[in-house]
Amino acid sequence: MAEYKKVKVVKGPKGWGGPFLIDPKPGKDKVVSVTGGGIHPLAQKIADLTGCEAVDGFKTKVAFEAMACVIIDCGGTARVGVYPMKKVLTIDIYPTSPSGPLFRFITEQYFCSGVRLDDITPA
Amino acid sequence: MVKYERTVTGIGSLLEEFVSAGVLVFFGEGAPDELAEVAVVHKGSPMRGEIAPGDVVVLGETHLKVLAVGPVANSNLSNLGHLVLKASGETEVELPGDVCVEAQPLPNVDVGMRFAILGGK
Repeated sequence: MAEYKKVKVVKGPKGWGGPFLIDPKPGKDKVVSVTGGGIHPLAQKIADLTGCEAVDGFKTKVAFEAMACVIIDCGGTARVGVYPMKKVLTIDIYPTSPSGPLFRFITEQYFCSGVRLDDITPA
Repeated sequence: MVKYERTVTGIGSLLEEFVSAGVLVFFGEGAPDELAEVAVVHKGSPMRGEIAPGDVVVLGETHLKVLAVGPVANSNLSNLGHLVLKASGETEVELPGDVCVEAQPLPNVDVGMRFAILGGK
């Protein structure tokens, strides 16, 4: 059975939410890049550190239960809410604060924004 | 000039929650299901020009004049067919992905409806 490592994610400058630990398990081991234009470097770094597989969410369908975390580049309305609503750890590369119709689902427990490569470290 | 010419192909089951907040979210076909759920899904030809204040967003028979365009709105639109339309009447965006249009009731969007962006000049 695959062994996964944990990583810690902290918010970047002007970011919001977190910190949280990404703790992948068998069956919950996909790092999903919902950014368009392929795998975002943040997703690749998390995948490399944890031993998870990085996936382009616009090319490959992934069940919520299989998502170790998602990486988004959301300016603040749709994607920031959808994934926290489904209780998926959500990392926004933009320093977005909770907003939009789904803002009530966006909590520090599930959402961290403004995240840069250096904000992701082995735990 | 027609900058963007698309046809609505799907309406998400949670779209109403966004519309009641004065927001219409769009995604091109191929978006993950969880995003399609909150959005108007559409298909058509690639973007021919960047959306800018003064442009008009066409939804069926409704014309919405663009007042403000966030700094990431154009890359969202060209990469993902993703647009966040807010009928706020504001001339400054609240969030970087926003496109603000004149304050007016958002139209009921149906499958088959035209979704286009016309250059204002």
